Amino acid sequence: MREAAAHAPLRLRSLRWRLLAAVCAAVLLLWLLTGWLSYTQAQHEAEELMDGNLAQSGRLLLALLRDNEADLRELAGRLATVRGAADNIYEPPLEFQIGRADGSILARSEAAPHLPVLGVTGYRDIVREDTAWRVLNVASQDGRYRVQVAQSIALRDRAALEVASHTVLPLALLSPVLIVLIYLSVLRALRPLDRLAGEISARNPDNLAPIPVQQVPTEALPLVGAINRLLQRVARTLDNERRFTADAAHELRTPLAALKVHTQVARLCREDAAREHALRQLEHGVDRVSRLVEQLLRLARLDPLNTLPDPGAVSLHALVDHTLEALRQSTPAAAQRITHTLSPDTPAVAGDADLLQIALRNLLDNALRYSPAEAAIQVAVEDHGQAVDLVVADNGPGVPPDALARLGERFFRVTGTVEGSGLGLAIVARIMALHGGRLALSNRPQGGLRAALCGLKRAAADCARPLSPHAAARAAGGRQSGH
Amino acid sequence: MRILLVEDDPLLGDGIRAGLSLAGYAVDWVHDGGPALAALASHQYDACVLDLGLPGQDGIAVLQALRRRGDLTPVLVLTARDTQADKIGGLDAGADDYLTKPFDLGELQARIRALLRRAGGQAQPVLSHRDVTLDPASKRVTRAGREVALSAREFALLEALMRHPQHIRSRAQLEDSLYAWGEEAGSNTVEVYIHHLRKKLGADFIRTVRGLGYQLGADR
Repeated sequence: MREAAAHAPLRLRSLRWRLLAAVCAAVLLLWLLTGWLSYTQAQHEAEELMDGNLAQSGRLLLALLRDNEADLRELAGRLATVRGAADNIYEPPLEFQIGRADGSILARSEAAPHLPVLGVTGYRDIVREDTAWRVLNVASQDGRYRVQVAQSIALRDRAALEVASHTVLPLALLSPVLIVLIYLSVLRALRPLDRLAGEISARNPDNLAPIPVQQVPTEALPLVGAINRLLQRVARTLDNERRFTADAAHELRTPLAALKVHTQVARLCREDAAREHALRQLEHGVDRVSRLVEQLLRLARLDPLNTLPDPGAVSLHALVDHTLEALRQSTPAAAQRITHTLSPDTPAVAGDADLLQIALRNLLDNALRYSPAEAAIQVAVEDHGQAVDLVVADNGPGVPPDALARLGERFFRVTGTVEGSGLGLAIVARIMALHGGRLALSNRPQGGLRAALCGLKRAAADCARPLSPHAAARAAGGRQSGH
Repeated sequence: MRILLVEDDPLLGDGIRAGLSLAGYAVDWVHDGGPALAALASHQYDACVLDLGLPGQDGIAVLQALRRRGDLTPVLVLTARDTQADKIGGLDAGADDYLTKPFDLGELQARIRALLRRAGGQAQPVLSHRDVTLDPASKRVTRAGREVALSAREFALLEALMRHPQHIRSRAQLEDSLYAWGEEAGSNTVEVYIHHLRKKLGADFIRTVRGLGYQLGADR
């Protein structure tokens, strides 16, 4: 797409040039049409004028003829002197023949075409000896005389051409002025677009404020509107990106800083008890960083997946049972706070048993960690027919509403006083996305947080597979307790 | 010297507190912005170490609130954000210094010493009065060129007095700079340490201002 645009001729892509070309072509076409019409009109008028001349000359000759037959020979000679100037096309030489009704010629001009003087009266175009003539025959009223006058058509055409071109010429001379005027108007009309382009290109990447629409021409408003919406989206994305980087830096560097400080404290301490404490903290810090790395790797493995690695029918009852069993083995006291209401005939869902177990375990860990030690945690299934939700609810303090929306974001944590990586819920959200569902978090009206694996699809056949030993092992060992 | 530590991470906070205590500072530790502002309002701290990534109120907001109410306590900002813009933003919000995680404990201590020195208006890193010198970095005190052995508390008390040679410090103020929260001070511990210091540095090195407190003896 961009390649093609880059190779298209510049002038076709420029609105200015397209507008100019279109307007100029239309103006020139109109100009040609007008020119041609004026030209033919002028030619026609000139011919009629010259025809009138011919008729006048013919009737003048007839009038001279009457009662002057004796002087005819002399007349011919005298008439020869009224021939017009050869270089003036508006005074064409008068060629004539004068004859009687019987066809005998009484007088003629020297260059007149040799034509029988008897013929139909009126105008005729005749070619004689390679010359075209416009001929008019007239007869006297008594019928005794005939007069034939002729004009060379070549001369007549030249005159007509001259007249016609004089009417068209001013139009032709004015057309460059017209084109310049068009060019300037187009430039002026498109100036707001140039200004707009200048404003946008002068921006630095940090300035993502919307483009002001007050001075934008109506035609460009949709474009500017679209650009403003895009700017808004980019600003939001950039904002999220910055927040993510800041959160990630905090979550990754804080435990490292703690490791370093405790190491140095251990080295500087002179008292055994304090050194022992620092070393214990150091070990604890290493555990924390290991967990963080584990979760990062888990996310990294989940991220490129488009489909579930091992889809099948998963019994929710077995899933909850196994997860709680694993929890009981690692932290018996904490596991006692968890109750569930699932019966063995709870529907099976389509999914990856290992991943669902990780998701449930993360929700339970969060509930245990972020609610007070006496808070109770309930696991339940909500059946919506085709879709099934697996819900973990606690009666702890819940989550501030503004933090609720960000809760699934990577490295985001609501409170820093409890240790965590800020990745647990991001992993759950990713697992649910792979299952075509979502992680739904809300504060319960009666207090506490409700976290739901939402939109799990009911398995096609109700033949739930038992969890693989591998999955159970991972649930038990994946998240060590005691942190 | 009493320092307020504002750090939400339990592991890092514990480490910093231990590290600063090793250097002889009395450290009070709070986990969030609100308690930090309350602590700064109720106690006179010589310096504050403030983490920017706090859960509730952001560290920058704490800093701005602190400066807005005219509090001049030197603040060293501790943060994971290391871009130029972050540093400039932090300093402009009122921080006196900036340290990026992970950091060296020695550097943290040195920067706090520099903050204390600037706040006390001293150009020299080593404090001296009469023939006694006190080096906050090496924790050594000499009298007429010979080293004097002091306990950590004695050193802290002497440092508090030598930071502001003209000031009269009350017993309560001196106690404040010796003990963090939760550390019980005996009813006459300050008097005991003063007594020890006078024995080691000369009877008239520290003067008792009746009814007010203590002050370094006049320069000879």
